[in-house]
Amino acid sequence: MIAFLATVAVGVGTYLSRSIFILALAKKKIPNSVLVALQFVAPAVLGSLIIALLIDESGSVAIGIPEVAALAVGGAVTYKTRNHILTLVVGMTVYWVIRALA
Amino acid sequence: MSVDRATVRRGVTDALPLFVPAVPFALVIGLAIVEADINLFSGWSGSWLIFGGAAQLTLVSLLGSGAAVLAAITAALVVNARHLMYSAAMAPVFQKQPSWFRWVGPYVLIDQMFALTVIEADRDPDFFRTYYLAAGATFWTLWQITTALGIAIGPVVPEEWNLGFAVPLLFIGLLVLGVDKSSKLVAALSGAGVTYLFANLPNRTSLLVGALAGIVIGTVIERLRP
Repeated sequence: MIAFLATVAVGVGTYLSRSIFILALAKKKIPNSVLVALQFVAPAVLGSLIIALLIDESGSVAIGIPEVAALAVGGAVTYKTRNHILTLVVGMTVYWVIRALA
Repeated sequence: MSVDRATVRRGVTDALPLFVPAVPFALVIGLAIVEADINLFSGWSGSWLIFGGAAQLTLVSLLGSGAAVLAAITAALVVNARHLMYSAAMAPVFQKQPSWFRWVGPYVLIDQMFALTVIEADRDPDFFRTYYLAAGATFWTLWQITTALGIAIGPVVPEEWNLGFAVPLLFIGLLVLGVDKSSKLVAALSGAGVTYLFANLPNRTSLLVGALAGIVIGTVIERLRP
């Protein structure tokens, strides 16, 4: 029961974090200076997430030649084709092959 | 509301590859729920009550390791704090949407949804809503099924595959698609750099520090531009 209630609490908190600005700013005029800053949320978060996702349990970033090569190829494939399935297949293949060779 | 089938199909097909790396993660969560020795339904209910894998795994593991309930809740919420930034970034987009969608949409605003749909933000509002709902429903449905499977069968995807790497792989593509000027590139690179420098902070808070640094640096550069 405690586990369920704790899950409800995290669920409510998570929904609030995702909805708070969308709901609060629904009808308000958002100042231009804020809009300028908001356009950088996506690139800044994605850049940070890519690194954060490579952090291992010891707190260091696991990034070597296989990762860098696959990220470069993956970025190029998405840019050229906008096809995420192709990016997944090509990028993971590059990653696995280079890791096996290393 | 007329639903454009082609848009629905695109939303589903764009969501599918992004879901692939979530499969081993969902299976690990399932196993963590079993090992945490909590009520299985309570553990799985996080899949729809929270709908966020990192927070669900944090909560379940901490409850399982006997941590204080309040500490477990706090840690899970810290892990999900980045959603505040998604909410702010999406606020102008959702202004053009009907009120029901402003209540429903945020429920599925996970990392993948943000990365996938933010690059469609300038599209026609009807297209955006249909695309968003199709992708969101795809993620949601598959997540419920795979986390339940994880409880039933445990992790069957070999760990050596390192399928989790597919997440940064797909995110870099979405990042490239969204970078349309140099200030955004600087924001992305400084976000990544600062996250790297602070990598050993607990609960992945380096992500928050890095993202905020990227936003500030991007904004300053934009302001300084003639």
